[in-house]
Amino acid sequence: MRRVRGWLLRLGELFGKERRERELAAEMESHLQMHIEDNLRAGMSAAEARRDALMKLGGMEQTKEIYRERRGLPLLEAFTQDLRSSIRLLRKSPSFAALVTLTLALGIGANTAIFSVVNAVLLSPLPYRQPDRLVMVWMSNASKGYKTSPVSGGDFAEWKAGNSVFEEMAPSWDSLYTLTGAGEPEFLIGYQFSAEYFRVLGAAPQLGRTFLPEEDRPGGRDVAVLSDGLWRRTFHADIGVVGKPITLDGKSYTVVGVMPPGFKYPPLTEIWTPLELNQAFLANYKDSALRIMARLKPGVTVKQAESQLNAIESRIAQQHPDTDEGNTVKIVPLREELSGDIRLPLLILLGAVGFVLLIACANVANLTLARAAGRQKELAVRSALGASRGRLIRQFVTESIFLSLTGGVAGVILAALATRFLVAIFPNNIANLNIPRVTAIPIDARVLCFGMFVATLTGLLFGLAPIAHFVRRDLAEGMKEMSRGTTSTRREQRLRGMLVGAEVALAVVLLVGASLFVESFRNLLQGKLGFDAERVVSAQLFLSSGKYPFAEPQKRLQFLDQVLEKIRALPGVESAGATNYLPLSGFWGVATFTVEGLPQPQPGKEPTADARLATPDYFRTMGILLLKGRVFTEEDRKGAPKVAIVNETLAHRVWGHEDPIGQKLNVGDIKQADWWEVVGVVSDVKSFGLEEETHGDLYRPFAQIPYPLLAIVVRTPGRPASMLGAVKQAIWSADKDQPIFKIIGMDQMADESLALRRVSTVLLSTFSTLALLLGGLGIYGVMAYAVTQRTHEIGVRMALGAQSSSVLGMVIRQGMKIALAGLVLGLGGALALSRVLTGLLYGVTSTDTPAFAFTAAILAGVSLTACYVPARRATRVDPMVALRYE
Amino acid sequence: MMGDKTDVWQGTLALMVLKTLQALGPLHGYGIARRIEQTSGGLLAVNYGTLYPALLKLEQEGYISSEWGTSDNNRKAKYYKLTRAGRKQLDKEAREWEQTTEILARFLAPGRESA
Repeated sequence: MRRVRGWLLRLGELFGKERRERELAAEMESHLQMHIEDNLRAGMSAAEARRDALMKLGGMEQTKEIYRERRGLPLLEAFTQDLRSSIRLLRKSPSFAALVTLTLALGIGANTAIFSVVNAVLLSPLPYRQPDRLVMVWMSNASKGYKTSPVSGGDFAEWKAGNSVFEEMAPSWDSLYTLTGAGEPEFLIGYQFSAEYFRVLGAAPQLGRTFLPEEDRPGGRDVAVLSDGLWRRTFHADIGVVGKPITLDGKSYTVVGVMPPGFKYPPLTEIWTPLELNQAFLANYKDSALRIMARLKPGVTVKQAESQLNAIESRIAQQHPDTDEGNTVKIVPLREELSGDIRLPLLILLGAVGFVLLIACANVANLTLARAAGRQKELAVRSALGASRGRLIRQFVTESIFLSLTGGVAGVILAALATRFLVAIFPNNIANLNIPRVTAIPIDARVLCFGMFVATLTGLLFGLAPIAHFVRRDLAEGMKEMSRGTTSTRREQRLRGMLVGAEVALAVVLLVGASLFVESFRNLLQGKLGFDAERVVSAQLFLSSGKYPFAEPQKRLQFLDQVLEKIRALPGVESAGATNYLPLSGFWGVATFTVEGLPQPQPGKEPTADARLATPDYFRTMGILLLKGRVFTEEDRKGAPKVAIVNETLAHRVWGHEDPIGQKLNVGDIKQADWWEVVGVVSDVKSFGLEEETHGDLYRPFAQIPYPLLAIVVRTPGRPASMLGAVKQAIWSADKDQPIFKIIGMDQMADESLALRRVSTVLLSTFSTLALLLGGLGIYGVMAYAVTQRTHEIGVRMALGAQSSSVLGMVIRQGMKIALAGLVLGLGGALALSRVLTGLLYGVTSTDTPAFAFTAAILAGVSLTACYVPARRATRVDPMVALRYE
Repeated sequence: MMGDKTDVWQGTLALMVLKTLQALGPLHGYGIARRIEQTSGGLLAVNYGTLYPALLKLEQEGYISSEWGTSDNNRKAKYYKLTRAGRKQLDKEAREWEQTTEILARFLAPGRESA
């Protein structure tokens, strides 16, 4: 109670401060006078009486300060006072304030921007129940060369029955649909889910229900669940859609539910239908098609689950060596699965940007340290007037926090601007990049908190430097020292040297990392996609089985012929062709084959190639070169001999140096052979992007296998983008109801396939340039300061006959000692850290000598320049002026 | 720091101030300081820096109140007097202090450790 009363009174004391101040002075004055009077009465002389009283009563000003601290709310009062004096002081040195704020804004802004991406991709909550326990279960087989692949029905059935680590396992696979009868026909990416799949995810529909257990059995009802996007776009958010029939691929399905807006699993999916697995499929170990989601039991780790499933799998491999030999199980947490290939680059960028901030901190610490040195006298005086040590520390902290928060606010604004460019990391047209789909990077509360937290931390960090330095010193000593002129102590110089050394070391690590990235990127750009992306328009279509039934392939052929004819008639079209799986699109399929004249491989060990289709003009249109034999002609149609074209990689892999022309491949099996004769060899295409291995490609004429998935390619003399509208119209003039899944210039596809790498390379280069700049500034600052400090000494040396070259050498030596120490330290650090990058490099090793040498050279150059400028100034010191400099 | 005389501890100073005001009635700061020094037989020294913050604290806590008045020598001075709460607080603190010193005395007295 008493305490509360005290606080209230003290709060009241914040007002009427001056009256209290006067009263105290009057009270102390009367105290003094009474004391003097008593002394006089005791027989002292007037002067003696006064002197005795003053000595005895102690410092009046110091008492006032203690009294003040006791009186109001000193913390609050001191804070506003500190803030006001900070702002006043900073106003007096605007260049210092501007430099610090700018440095911090860049550092904090870069950090906040990268964090906003991390926040959007790695930290955003997944809209599922306890998402930490959700995992994907994949098959992996090193000898067959795949890291994660879908699982066969047989494997799945045994895993499901034999494991004790999962609460539940749910299978699914993708399935493409054409929706008709609801406005324009639409091509949809769908997924077939087992009935328990939604339950495993722990996701509830916003309307209706998901699947009932009896709906995923063979013969179950044909039902469908819509995505929020599809429901709003095509069904105009009609609440009555539940229970209504829709037509998918000409078959009727009943809508039973609509998922909420956040539900995007798997990404891109618009419609879900039940997955019906029959007994035959669950006993089949050959066809790998299932994508399995599972929920770990509480307390079970991914590692434990993996080891149990691997035990089951090795038993299966013994029973079914032809299909399962060498298989291992790979369990990937859902979060990791969804963030895909972007996780590591993002974390690396976050680390890099953290380095930049540390460098910025060191630089600012150096600046404040130098400034504090100039304020030593002020501090000594304040301390003599009774400012407590804590009070002085608070002043420093207030000042640095004020600076860092100003920098922080500017930084967050910079970050908000930067996120617009960062969205470019996430290309929208490339399905095969394992990157989550992000359309906006919000600056939300978490990002703001992060920015402010980083700013405060930064302020504390660089504010600590002068505190650590000055508070431990005897300030009275400082006062004497100051009166003799400015000299900084050895300790202070060492601290500043260490800060700059650390800065250089961090900059070196960043520079090495960035140059490794740049070199990788350059290597990539020199790589060839194998087709002429600059002048080709592509349009991907899916011919629905409703209008183009599977049993009537001639309808599909007819459609394609018509479309190609219309397109060829367009002005400015050089040629037009079609394939099934467009390079870079992410769609692909494989064919297993055996070769005539070669020994029959063991079952399961047959060679495979990507199963591609082509019309006669496809190769010419794409700019794929014919190396041997011939391309397809109009004569290669149904009924004519079956012919195939292989790419260089496949030709080399299968026949080595022999001539593949005239060789025969069996794409069927032994019982039902399906022979194709090789008539040509074409150049390789990097169908999965520059960074991926070239696959072996087996092309067959579209006319001999009219597949429903179509990619039409059109060669134009100008920019592909200008042709998009005309190509679209040409397709619709052949069939006005045919949905176009995607129409895009191949140049844009090629560009986006490098988006992640381009953005991370650009960012890393920017960060390291920033680091280099800050590091150079740091060295310059320290050397310039050191030269000013040593003006007197240098003057003496020169007066005694030292040559300007020896002075130059002396100063440069001093600076380069720091820089070289930092360089060596940084190269060591880079060597250790660059191992993290190994997986992200292309055509470069993490110990790439040119990158290290380049970094060392650049840094030495920058340091030398940073030392040279102040050194040069030192040699121009006029000895006479310097001697009088005191 | 303070020469040869003992500096007064903050906690005990408050008690001494309250006791002085109880014994002598309303008194100014100089009077309080003098009285404490005399009572201690010159062993304690009370300077501004310890006295005035202590008085302020007591006043904030409501144990004493102050008003301006005139001293015997016609000098303007601020007089402090004990409030009712101050009287109670004095009783309480005095009792606690006696207890503390008694306990400490038992510890320090030779040969009287409990078995």
